[in-house]
This record gives sequence, structure tokens and C-alpha cells, in this order.
Amino acid sequence: MAEMRRDIDFDDDLYDDEDTQKDKYLTFFMAGEDYGIDIAYVTEIIGIQKITEVPDMPVFIKGVINLRGKVIPIMDVRLRFNMKERAYDERTCIIVVDINGTAVGLVVDEVREVADIPEAQVEPPPQTGKGRSSRYLKGMGKVDDEVKILLNAENLLYDEELEKLETIGEG
Amino acid sequence: MTNQFSPDHVEMVHEFAQEIRDLLDELEPVIIAMGECCGTEGKLEDISDDINSIFRLFHSIKGAAGFLNFTHVAATSHSAENLLDLIRTGGMSLQPDHIDLLCQGCDFIREAIDHVCQHYEDGGLSEQSRRLRDRFLAAIKPDLQAAEQGAPLIDLDGDLGSQVSPEMTVNFVSESQEILQAMESGLLNWLNDQENQELLGDIFRHVHSFKGNCGFLGFADLESLSHHLETAIDLARSGTKVDNGKIAELALKLVDVYRESLADIEGGGPGKIDGLTIYLDMINDLLPSADRVSSETVKEESDRLGDILVELGAASRAAVDISLAQQNRQLGAILVESGAVSHDAIDKALQIQAERKKKKIGPTKAKVTSRQDIRVDLGKLDQLIDLIGELVIAENMVVHSPDLVDMELDSFQKSSQHLSKIVRDLQEMAMTLRMVPVSGLFRRMIRLVHDLSRKSGKKVDFILRGEDTEVDKTVIETITDPLVHLLRNSMDHGIESSEVRLKAGKNSTGRIKLSATHEEGCVKITIDDDGGGLDRGKILAKAREKGLIHDDGSSMRDREVFQLIFAPGFSTAAEITDVSGRGVGMDVVRQNINKVNGTIDIQSKAGQGTTVQLSISLTMAIIEGMMVRCGQSRYIIPIINIIESFQCKPGMITLAPDGQEIVKVRDNLLSVVRLHELHKIVPDNYELEKGILIVLEARRHNFCLFVDELLGQQQTVIKGLSDYVTSFGNVGGVSGCTIMGNGEVCLILDVQSVLDRLNTGEADESAYRGR
Repeated sequence: MAEMRRDIDFDDDLYDDEDTQKDKYLTFFMAGEDYGIDIAYVTEIIGIQKITEVPDMPVFIKGVINLRGKVIPIMDVRLRFNMKERAYDERTCIIVVDINGTAVGLVVDEVREVADIPEAQVEPPPQTGKGRSSRYLKGMGKVDDEVKILLNAENLLYDEELEKLETIGEG
Repeated sequence: MTNQFSPDHVEMVHEFAQEIRDLLDELEPVIIAMGECCGTEGKLEDISDDINSIFRLFHSIKGAAGFLNFTHVAATSHSAENLLDLIRTGGMSLQPDHIDLLCQGCDFIREAIDHVCQHYEDGGLSEQSRRLRDRFLAAIKPDLQAAEQGAPLIDLDGDLGSQVSPEMTVNFVSESQEILQAMESGLLNWLNDQENQELLGDIFRHVHSFKGNCGFLGFADLESLSHHLETAIDLARSGTKVDNGKIAELALKLVDVYRESLADIEGGGPGKIDGLTIYLDMINDLLPSADRVSSETVKEESDRLGDILVELGAASRAAVDISLAQQNRQLGAILVESGAVSHDAIDKALQIQAERKKKKIGPTKAKVTSRQDIRVDLGKLDQLIDLIGELVIAENMVVHSPDLVDMELDSFQKSSQHLSKIVRDLQEMAMTLRMVPVSGLFRRMIRLVHDLSRKSGKKVDFILRGEDTEVDKTVIETITDPLVHLLRNSMDHGIESSEVRLKAGKNSTGRIKLSATHEEGCVKITIDDDGGGLDRGKILAKAREKGLIHDDGSSMRDREVFQLIFAPGFSTAAEITDVSGRGVGMDVVRQNINKVNGTIDIQSKAGQGTTVQLSISLTMAIIEGMMVRCGQSRYIIPIINIIESFQCKPGMITLAPDGQEIVKVRDNLLSVVRLHELHKIVPDNYELEKGILIVLEARRHNFCLFVDELLGQQQTVIKGLSDYVTSFGNVGGVSGCTIMGNGEVCLILDVQSVLDRLNTGEADESAYRGR
């Protein structure tokens, strides 16, 4: 794990132990908004590469790739949020996260930076108008006058509510 | 903790530790060897070199430990040094006790080294060190020794127990399981051949070493139970009138008890045996009263003639003692003369004496020839295999790098070929690492058949063949359950009772043969019995009842009929016994075998017996596959499923009214599955004539798969699709994936599930096709 993290080209000291990773988020850009994901989950960032499609998968699972001998599934985060699909370009990145031992690649439009967002700066996720709390959101992080949408990585992978949300949204 | 010590100090400690470990490794065997010539006078010159080097070892440990402030280590070494010095200068002769003591000294120092490598001080060792020092002191002053020997010894044992590391326990458990298995198979063999002294000797040794291990790690219950068993078996061995059969049955039961206890130990428990006293009584009940073992004393087996005679009950202890007192001739002669024992008894005892002496030498000799194993964590092994798989891919990428195309690279070619060869060898080697012989699995089955045979009262000869056939460890795990079910079936439904067999003109004892062979990259496991065979009529009737078939089945071939018994809940048994009859077993067999891409073949003749053959590919990690292309996608199809491939001509295709295309291959009509429709790919061709049709077989059903092109056969390393992917449900028609030479992922088709789709989803398919 330790050396995998070093693949990310940031300051090494950041990854010495859990404490220094606290309040640090990898931020990325997608469809006009900035998002953040807890750095502790991130193992590396790789460029987009050829994805092998797997049949019978939900639309947001684009397929699998070979990451140094390991086969990992790729999720298109845009499709996960039921946003419009966008053709991949040279800025498109795959953020490889490890969530409780499951490695998954997240396709995002563009990776930004590692941001330090102390807990005091994080607001709880807003209640949506229809009364559903968005479980895939961890909160809204305020950095200067910008707002970063902080994702709850575990629910991003497994939350079934998201699927329901989509269908209701469609209807 | 570490902060208090400078890096220099830490480094020094580790250097010290390494050095001492090396020295210990070198000198421990010397100490042991020295033990063989101890007690003999005048041999001091022969071993003086050895003693000197051991003396130097302890001396340098003392010096280094003193320098690093490990006072307890230093003090202990000092007392060992004192003892050795005394021996060296001839102030004392070397005794066996001294050897033990020195060995314990070595053990202590090893432990101490491990301790200081972690803690950088030896404060925690004071108690042990003190105890050991006392013993050295006692050894130097023999008069003290006699007085103190009892107490510290027991103390030390207790101490050892508490210091057992988890690692030792794990090793103990796995080793013991092996011993128990060997014991079990030995017992079963012995049951059939009760005159075989060699077998009995083996069993005895297993029990003995098990007892030793338990005692060493301080599992008192296990030790005392094993000790009793040892005594019982020893009696059986020495020919005393005991019921061999009963002892063996009891011993088998005890093996189970041991296993339970081991499981407890493995889970971190104390390994207590429930109802220990009951088991002990059960053993005692089998023994003649004179030989009963009291629970407290652990009697050392003796090879002295007098003791043997007493043990045999041929002479009283008193008579032997009297004779011993006046012994200046051979004990045997005195006893015979005094009429205390008969000649025959002495002869027998002498024979046993010779055997025992031989046996005492035996085990050490065996050790020399035993092959060297190390236990490796399976996870590490898998990592290694993964890495080698990656190496193969990386090598491919380098050698076939697009940058090198059209370049004259003579020497590069040469070296790259060399590299390729090494990589292939490495890959082959890696594959054999996970292979284990089936013998362990087979031997477990002996026990099963034995138990079933006792339960049902049917007599069987159980024959094993090809036990040394090697298969992947995962294959063993997968076929264990199926084998149990198949053997149960053979015993319960196959083999008839003795009376029925005799009436049918067969030998009253049934025969079941379990064999394993390698054939064409597959391992074939065959279970062959000479029982009643499968009843075709009964199966068909039951199948009709269950709605599996609708006609009278007269057109079905035997093979197809026999496949019906794999249906869930299928049982022709009139009543449900505790062994079988619920119809679950065969379903389990099929499920498990399918999981590893294996096939099951049943042949049976009514009245003559049944043969069930399982074919499973040798390893689950690699399959021989055919790479095919459909549009931009590539797939691997397991060769085992491919029968043939051909390009079809116009006129071979018939379009059924429901839209299903059917192709006529020689006399067979086969449904066509279009891969591009299955996986929604854009293919090169939509016309069947322009692509390739591959005839595939799964569960004895054939169908055709339409693809664009065959790309060639290759060894395929199977990788699972991520758990995350499979959490979305079954991936249709795909069993896994592999990584191609260019680093891309390629899916492996699961022919079985493609077939299932064809059978269940025909209506949807045709609607989808919209023709």
C-alpha cells in the first residue's frame, strides 16, 4: 500500500501515517463542479486507458482494466450520478480507490489537487427538496469562497439508494 | 520504547543477534553429537575440540551480552561456561543431563535474542535466567543436584508452556493434523491386517510423537490421553491378550477427540478435552488390570528385560527384583532357573527387547532421509504466481514492443529468446508450486468408508490407486465434498448387503475403487463399485414423477438417463436414512464440479456396478483457451468446451418459426448463438457464412457460437472479475478474465451459462432479434 500511494506525485510526507491524511481530500472536477474524496481511500491516479466492457453491468460500470496484473472495475462517476456522458479526452483520469479492500477505478473529468479542508469547514450535506438525505455525500467543504462536494466513498460504491434516486429522477 | 536507544545501539544489537544465531545453528548439532559419546570414560580427547568450541560460544555470548548490558543473558552464559570449563579441565565427566542442560541453554539464548531484538533490554528474562542458572549450578555441584532436580524440572516445564508462541501453536496444530491423518490411515489398515507388526509399530510411533508434541507445548489433556493410548497400543504390539479390534476402534474415536481438541487449540483455546476421564477409563477397560495406567504417572517405556517381563505379566515384579539383586549372569537364565517364568515367555520378551532397541534407533535414521519442506503461507505463494504472470506479460510487451519493429537487432533477439525461455520455465515451476498429491484426500476417504461400512454392516474392500497424482490445492478443496457424497452413494445405494450379493453370485465383500490419473491436462478421479448399478427404470419413473421428462424416456441413451440423478431433490431411495436419500448429494456434486469447469461421467450396468468419473482440469489458475474475435472484442473460450469449428455454407442454416437459427452439422441439428447479440457488440459480419461457427459442448449439450474470427490457441491465466463487479449479480456468459500480451483485459466465456441462456431465454432472444 505504502509504495502504491507514492505513485501519486505529491508530497511524500503527507502519507506517513493516518493522522497526516486527516482532513485531506483529493479534489477533482466534473461537469462544472469541484468534488473531493477522502485521500485515505485513494491509491493512485492513472490516465484513461482501454477499458474492456463487461456484459450485464449497470451503465455506470464501464468495464475492467488491467492495473499491473490486477483486474479492477471502472466506474464512470458521471454516469453514477446520472449525468450526461462525455467523451474521454487527455484530461480524463481514473482515480483508483481502495475501499475496504475493493479496488475500483473512478473516471472523472479532471483531477485538481489535494486540498486541506478542516472539519470545521465541512457542512453536513443539505437535505434535498424531496426529503431524502443524500447518503453518497459526506458534506460540503468550504475552501475560501469555493464549495467542494465531498463524497462518501463507500456509499458511492454500494449505495442502492442512488439507483432509486436515478429512476425517480427519470420518472 | 525504541526512542531510549541510539540507532548505533540498535544496530549493534541486531548484529549481535545475527552473529549468535549463526553460532548457535552451527554448534547445536555439535552439542547433540557430543551427547552420543557422553558417559563413556577416557573419550575426553575426542570431544575436547567440541567442548572448546562450545565453551568459546558461551564465552563470546557472555562478552557481547555484558557489553550490551544484557545482564541476564550474560549471567546465564557465565554459568554454562562454568560447567563447560569444569568438564574441559577434567574436573567432571560429561553426563547426558549436561547435554540437555546445554541445549536448554541454547534455547534460552535463542529466545533471549528474539526478545532483545524487540525490546533492546533483557529485563523480562530474569525469572527464566535464574532458573536455568540454578540448574547449571546444580549440575556443577552434584550433591545439590539430587536434592533440587525434582522441583525445578517441573517448574521449567510449566514455564515452557506459558511461553509457547502463537507460531509454535500453529505449527503444532498443522503438524499434529498430519500425524493424526497418518495415524488414522494406519489404524484402518491395521484393522484389516491385525497381524501386521510393522503397521502397529508405525501407529505407535505416531501416537508417541503426538504425545511428545503435546507434552512439549503443555497440552496436558492431550498428552495424558495420548499416553494412555500409547500404552494400549504398546500392549497390542507386544502381543498381550487384548482385543486389537476394540483398541483400534477406540483409537479411531480418539483421533476424532484429538481433532476436536486441536481445533480448539487452533482457535486459541486451551485444548481441554471434555470427558477426559471417561476416555481414560475406556482405554483402561480394554487393558488387563496389571497394565492399567494411573492418571498421574507418566511411565517411560523401558527396554530393560525385567521391566518387559513384568509388563507382559509373565513374571512378578518381586521375582524380577530378586533375580536382579543376584544378577551376575543373564537375567533371563536366572528367571527360568528359579522357575519364575517359562522359556517361551523369555524368548518372547527377548524378541520384544530387540525390537524396542531397534525402534529407539529407528526414528533418528528416518530423519536423515526425510525430504525437506518448509511451510509457506498460501497468500505469499499466490502473490508469487501473480508476479510471475505479470512478468510473462511484461516480457511479451518488451519483446514485441512496437518501437522495435523493423529494426535489425540480432543480439537483442538472442537475449530476448533466452529471457523468454527462462520466463516460461519460471511460469511452469510456479504452477507446480501449488500442486499437492491427492493422497491426503484419499486417506480421509478410507475413514469415511470404514465408518459407513460399520454403520451399514456391509463389507467392502476399499482400494486406492494413483494416490501420488498431483493436483492444484483448490481442486482438492472442491472435490472433497463431491467425493464424500459419491462414496456415500456407492456405500448406501450401490453396494448390496452380503446376502444379496451372495444370491447374485458375487463375492460377499463389496469392492469400491477410488483412483486418480492424469490425462490430457486433466485429472480424472474415478469411483468404481461392483454394487447393484443404477436402475434405469426407477430413475425414469422418478423423473416422470418430478416432471423432468414427459415421455417414457425409452429414446434416451443410458448416459442421458443417468445425468438425471444430478437434478436437485432427485432421489430414488425409498426412505431417508441418516446417510443419504434426500437427493441433495448429487446436486452438490454437480455444483462443485461445475465450479471448476469439470465434467461428470456415469457408466453403470444393472447388477454389475457403477463407475463415476470426474474430469477436472489440472489447475484452476490456467486453462488452455482459444482466443476469438468478435468486432473489436476478444474472448477466450476454454478448449475443453470446443468440439470443432467450421465455416458454414448457405443451405446449412434453417430458420425456425421462433427466429432461432439452426445449423445442420452432419446429422446433428444445433442452435446458433450469436456472440455479438449476447454481448451487444458491433461485429464485422452479420451473415453467418462470413464468420466462423464454433461447436461448443456443455453438460453434454451442443450448440454453435457465431464469431468473426479464430485467433489461436493459448495458455490462459485465469483472473477473477473483481468482487465489486460480481456484486451486481451474475455476469452473463463470462466466468472470468485474463490479461492479454498487450496488457488489455480479455473476458473468458462461460459456455455453460451461455447454454443456460439459450435454454431459458429463447423467447426473449427472438423478440430481441425482431425478425
